[in-house]
Amino acid sequence: MDGFQTELVALLPRLRRFARAVCRSDADAQDLVQATVERALAKRGGYRLGTRLDSWAFTIMRRIHIDQGRSKTRWGRVVAPEDAATPNIADGSQAGEDLRADALAVRDALRRLPEDQRLAVALVLVEGLSYAEAAKVLDVPPGTLTSRLVRGRQSLIQSLTEQGVSA
Amino acid sequence: MTGPEAFDDEILMRRIDGELTPEAASAIDAAAAGDPTLARRLEQMRGLRALAREAFPAAPDARDADLARLIAAGASRTAPWEALAAGLREAFSPRYAPVWAGAAAACFVLGLTVGWLGQDRASAGFTVASDGTIADADLVRVLERGLSADGADGEGRAVSLTFRDGSGRWCRTFRAGEDGVSGLACRHDGEWRIQALAPFDTSGSEVRTAGADTPPAVLAAVDALIAGDTLDAAAETQARDTGWR
Repeated sequence: MDGFQTELVALLPRLRRFARAVCRSDADAQDLVQATVERALAKRGGYRLGTRLDSWAFTIMRRIHIDQGRSKTRWGRVVAPEDAATPNIADGSQAGEDLRADALAVRDALRRLPEDQRLAVALVLVEGLSYAEAAKVLDVPPGTLTSRLVRGRQSLIQSLTEQGVSA
Repeated sequence: MTGPEAFDDEILMRRIDGELTPEAASAIDAAAAGDPTLARRLEQMRGLRALAREAFPAAPDARDADLARLIAAGASRTAPWEALAAGLREAFSPRYAPVWAGAAAACFVLGLTVGWLGQDRASAGFTVASDGTIADADLVRVLERGLSADGADGEGRAVSLTFRDGSGRWCRTFRAGEDGVSGLACRHDGEWRIQALAPFDTSGSEVRTAGADTPPAVLAAVDALIAGDTLDAAAETQARDTGWR
């Protein structure tokens, strides 16, 4: 394997983590990681050596996720309109995980955030990207990123407070 | 300003995320030391950040092994664009410059491109058919509808110069940012055909001059083909709106 491939393999746990933060189910997250890896391999010519591979791969993942969301929404309208009223909540727990109740509450609350806020929170709070890097991944101006981040955080804190979780 | 209202959620958030200057961060910390409400708000945000990281651990996963194999298998297939870009870089190196200066208008890249066309590139962006027609629907859309003032689309596709060649065809320079190439395409029978293609912004490459977005090889192709001047923004819009007639 060359340097690009080695780095991409090393990045897998973070890709999966980001996917799980933005998707509402573990199965969707796995599909998203797979699709991201495939596209990253196909598009590796677009990656500039010396730049951050994580931001580049997160950008690919974000685009695939948004595209998938659009087609699912279209499909949902055609096929199963009754599902539109069904809350699409995260699967409660995942194999081999032993999260504290507070962390589980955060995970569920994060997955209930609106898409744009969820992505911003996932990149900055979960992945630890700087605001500038996160704005680049999301392809939005810095001010948009910070306002999504503020609103997402306020919702999370409110939701956790209501559940009696002390953040 | 004094009291907790002096600090809105955004500035506290920036404090927690390390997005403030050390001076601004210290000012908040000093204020929080004497203000339990402010201290509580900061603590809440800090706790949320810690919980969010705890909620999504970056743990190894059994399924990573399959993906690692997929990534490793990517090595045996030579990365198509890299091979092409390397070929282009070689072809456009200064040693060959006098040759290209005379022949830049030809569809010279196609020989380099053909070997790469056979590969499965169904979803891989930039593609060119064997007759030089651009097969990337998104790039065609940008060539057909885009204006230089639009800047790049979400995947770095943009047009810059628009002009007519000696036979009256419309031609436009473009870049396909994610694929790392820049080129010149001319419209023929309603299709955009590649006239020149070159990598751009490749580190250590000789083909890029500082500050120029369009590689010299593509500009040379423009010079070789152009009849008259490039269009200004108004004329470009008009040409587009009248369907490139």
